[in-house]
Amino acid sequence: MIGLDVGSTSAKRVTIEKGELKYNITSSQNWRDLVDGIDCDEIISTGYFRNSVPHRASVTEITAAIHGVRHYFPDIDVIVDIGGQDTKVIDIRKNNFMINDKCSAGTGAFLEFVANYFRIELVELGRLHMNAKRIPDINNTCGVFAISEMISQLVAGYSKEEVIAGMHHAFARRISFMIPDAEKIALIGGTVKNEGMVMALKDLLRKEIFIPPEPQIINALGALKYYS
Amino acid sequence: MSKIGITALVPPELIFACDCSPLDVNNFIPESRKYPRNKLCAWTAIWKEMLIQKEIRIESLIVVAGGDCHNALVDGQKVAMSGTRTHFFFYPFDGDAEYLESQLWRLSDFLGDIKNPDKFKEITNLKKLGQDMDKKRYNGKINPGEAFRILISSSDLQSDPDKFRKAISSIRENNIELNSRVALIGVPPIYHDFHDVAQSLDLAIVFDELPYEFIRHGGNNIREIARDYCNYTFARPLEFRINFLQKELEKRNIDGVIHYTQFACHHMLEDEVIRKELDYPVLTIQGDLPGKTPEQIKLRLEAFREALLRS
Repeated sequence: MIGLDVGSTSAKRVTIEKGELKYNITSSQNWRDLVDGIDCDEIISTGYFRNSVPHRASVTEITAAIHGVRHYFPDIDVIVDIGGQDTKVIDIRKNNFMINDKCSAGTGAFLEFVANYFRIELVELGRLHMNAKRIPDINNTCGVFAISEMISQLVAGYSKEEVIAGMHHAFARRISFMIPDAEKIALIGGTVKNEGMVMALKDLLRKEIFIPPEPQIINALGALKYYS
Repeated sequence: MSKIGITALVPPELIFACDCSPLDVNNFIPESRKYPRNKLCAWTAIWKEMLIQKEIRIESLIVVAGGDCHNALVDGQKVAMSGTRTHFFFYPFDGDAEYLESQLWRLSDFLGDIKNPDKFKEITNLKKLGQDMDKKRYNGKINPGEAFRILISSSDLQSDPDKFRKAISSIRENNIELNSRVALIGVPPIYHDFHDVAQSLDLAIVFDELPYEFIRHGGNNIREIARDYCNYTFARPLEFRINFLQKELEKRNIDGVIHYTQFACHHMLEDEVIRKELDYPVLTIQGDLPGKTPEQIKLRLEAFREALLRS
């Protein structure tokens, strides 16, 4: 049996073989590579494309996230899943969730704008953040206009590293507004691999933050666990 | 009979008693394909454009400005400036029945005075049929989607009490299995298929907050309707509305609440209070332009059903 998460930007596959967790990640468009030779009866799907891919059963990302996170942290209060196109905040205690999608300012797409502007890979943002000496205040809540504001901070003399740190803080602030008061918060989703963004979010929340070893595959794992 | 446009709940019994016929201009929005210019809320922006461009034919307009929204107050003024005879109607925030009575007398003057007082009783009886239908719905005797279509049209009684009566009598009773019992509060969804989508995902909507307001108020003269409509919950403080909601949710044995809000609408600001005060799983949805229910919203509904199954 495999857990298959085909999201807006990437596809993830998880299996547990003899107790060992194995996974693969590719782009959403190449999801077929992950199920080559696998019968659809063996697939539990989740993600935006969960109903478009072959599957035995499907489950939404919200339920999958709860099951996936519990594999690592059984008593977490809140899960923050920062995906490519939206951010989901799941309050396990109250069985409630919120998803933002009307605005890109709290999604992975926002950081892609930043990386594209500097013509760097997304993964470099976190490393550059660590070299910032000052953090400029970026207030715009709209992803596109935040880029304009970022450019004006560059004009004002801030370095690339500092502006990136400022953008991470603007991003984290936006997400923090969605997060309810909680003691134990788990962060998942591909964007969580960006250590600069995580640092900014920790600064703002000042709560115990838990991040699984591979945050991007949690929903695929959760789909698998949900059905097991 | 003069066709009178209404932008929200205006006592239809008074409009009929003045020998006019109400037409809820919101009824045109969910099926509309308009992309309005300079919009905040699509509900008001679209009726504004349709009225200015004479795509909705009315003789006069009543804008509910107090107790509804400021978007309606401004967009209503734009319609007035385009030449439509317009009256601005204000509900009291504090529930002052005498103030509302004075508003209703002014409205009666605007409509040319009461000519057919029997209409008050006729409409009150029709609303009782609507209340019966609502009860049958939450007791699993009527399909929730079909009931909604009638209830939402009770703001203007389809501009014709006989037509409305026939619509109610056309509903057939069945035994409906209500698995996840859901209350839909806030603004009615702008998507024309929302109730059908919810039903297809096994979410049975057994309470529609605003349509219920349409059928629960009435009276046999201006004095009586003032003393009943002054408890129109959307016009009152949030605490008043939440207390009322709590009783309705309990009565209907609700499993979860969908709070539908609209882009750039004050109901979005109320969301955090609703979530805090109502002791139910709450799904917040924010809509914008009309049409079919978008896939992102279907995902939320599906996830909400899963959440209700977990609780």
